[in-house]
Amino acid sequence: MALLQRINAAARDKVFSLQEAFVLAWNAFRFIFARPFYGQDVIQQMDAIGVQSLGIVVLTGFFTGMVLALQSAVQMQRFGATAYVGSLVSASMIRELGPVLAGLMVAGRVGSGIAAQIGSMRVTEQIDALNVMGTDPIKKLVTPRLIAALLMLPALTVINDVAGIFGGNVIAKYYLQLPTSLYWATVWDQISTGGFVLHFIPNDFVHGLVKPFIFGGIISLTACHFGLRTTGGTEGVGVATTRTVVTASILILVTDYFITQALLALLPA
Amino acid sequence: MMGADDPNDTTVKEPDNAPAAAADASDEERRATDRRGDDRAADVVHPERVRAAIRKEITADRDADDDPRNTDAQPVIELRDVSLAFDRPILTGVSFEVYPGETVAIVGESGTGKSTIVKLILRLLVADSGEVRVLGNDIEKLTYEQALEIRQHMGMVFQGSALFDSLTVFENIAYPLREHTNLDEDAIEERVREKLRIVDLDPDQVMEVAPSELSGGMQKRVGVARGLAANPKIMLYDEPTSGLDPLTTGTITNLILKLQRDLNVTSVVVTHDIRSAFRMATRIALLHDQRIVFFGSPEDMTASDDPYIQTFLGGY
Repeated sequence: MALLQRINAAARDKVFSLQEAFVLAWNAFRFIFARPFYGQDVIQQMDAIGVQSLGIVVLTGFFTGMVLALQSAVQMQRFGATAYVGSLVSASMIRELGPVLAGLMVAGRVGSGIAAQIGSMRVTEQIDALNVMGTDPIKKLVTPRLIAALLMLPALTVINDVAGIFGGNVIAKYYLQLPTSLYWATVWDQISTGGFVLHFIPNDFVHGLVKPFIFGGIISLTACHFGLRTTGGTEGVGVATTRTVVTASILILVTDYFITQALLALLPA
Repeated sequence: MMGADDPNDTTVKEPDNAPAAAADASDEERRATDRRGDDRAADVVHPERVRAAIRKEITADRDADDDPRNTDAQPVIELRDVSLAFDRPILTGVSFEVYPGETVAIVGESGTGKSTIVKLILRLLVADSGEVRVLGNDIEKLTYEQALEIRQHMGMVFQGSALFDSLTVFENIAYPLREHTNLDEDAIEERVREKLRIVDLDPDQVMEVAPSELSGGMQKRVGVARGLAANPKIMLYDEPTSGLDPLTTGTITNLILKLQRDLNVTSVVVTHDIRSAFRMATRIALLHDQRIVFFGSPEDMTASDDPYIQTFLGGY
């Protein structure tokens, strides 16, 4: 009986949490177009989410591109196809690894930070203080982070893609002794053969930019949701942080699959 | 017992009695101090000594007839038969009213729902049943946006100050002004300086400092200044003296008294510090077992023969 009650309580908590998450998401999006608009907070968050994540995004992109070129070169040498390393690196980076890696990095670095900051504000009654002073915490705290993440994730992804393709170029040039011009020709070849939307936007770019836009929403809303639900003092802040990173990472990987399926159906090569 | 007014009670009612009562209390306290070395058992409960000490607290700051509340006016805050439960009952059938200009202290043991009442007044929580009226509005029937508007007439001082640690002291106090007024920056700075002076802080020394660099007492005072920034009609204090040393506790209590006297702000103070409660409150609500078991003046409380009240007072 006690076990059943515990299961019932846990299930109810999950359902309420999910409901709260959707209500939070709805309000956060709704407040994008509501006054007052906290422009300064948006710029601050763009700096925290975007500019301050540049280092890790460039670094992970560059080394991922290098390792991708290295691993594929080993396989492609068997078929004498090493000249197409550029194709493989660019396709992998732009369509998949760029968005997912940038998403996971930002989920770890920024998502945890947002959850910790809002969670600390919750346990020290600063959220209540906002409410008391007639400010909607969702409008003040969540919406600026959502806007900043929606804008900065695609930008970080582009930078991640470029860093990865440059990383592949380094391996192509110094390990495989491929001319740089050939490497970049295969990169462009891959992009152009992937098809175009409206005759000028490469399909690869659409894949690579739709995903981080959605990931930005997932990361910011997940972090704010767990931050706002924080209870139990500093220990609760730690729990909220961990839950944010785990949940956002899983959601990124799962939604990546479904977005890819949808985009492949909508934008055939 | 609610609103108990015993006409036969002669305990500290007349202002003329006050000096005598205070002298009695002093003698009583001195004798108690003398005995303390060899009579540790005296720490248990001595109702008369407690009453005398409390009488001293009451008379130290105001006369018994000095009642700032305006009972002819509508209550500013009114709770009618309010009940609330989470996983267990928190409040059951709680009713009381706060008139303009008065200070009501809500006291009780830890975990009895004192802070919950303040959250109900602010509509940070919604009651399961009953009615909470603030400034004539049934606050639970308001939309979220309307509740935000009503809250602009209330200032709140939180137990942990709840200052925004990403902002300076100036920005913290200026926050409600920037949010809800059209004051220009010069007017905002002047208002912030005025409020800092009210709470006895030097604006030039603290305005640009981060809250984390201030002591607990100074943070509380900045919290009061922020609560006062928008010139609210109601001030709510949640454990304003908890965690502070006796001297700072006295300073904060004096500050609340000063606000009551000088600005005639209606206040609700949640506190476990019965000494402070007796000093600043016009009426005291004692919470016990989810209910208000006493609501009346400090004098009536000390005069009460109710065993729980006596035990509660004796505990201090």
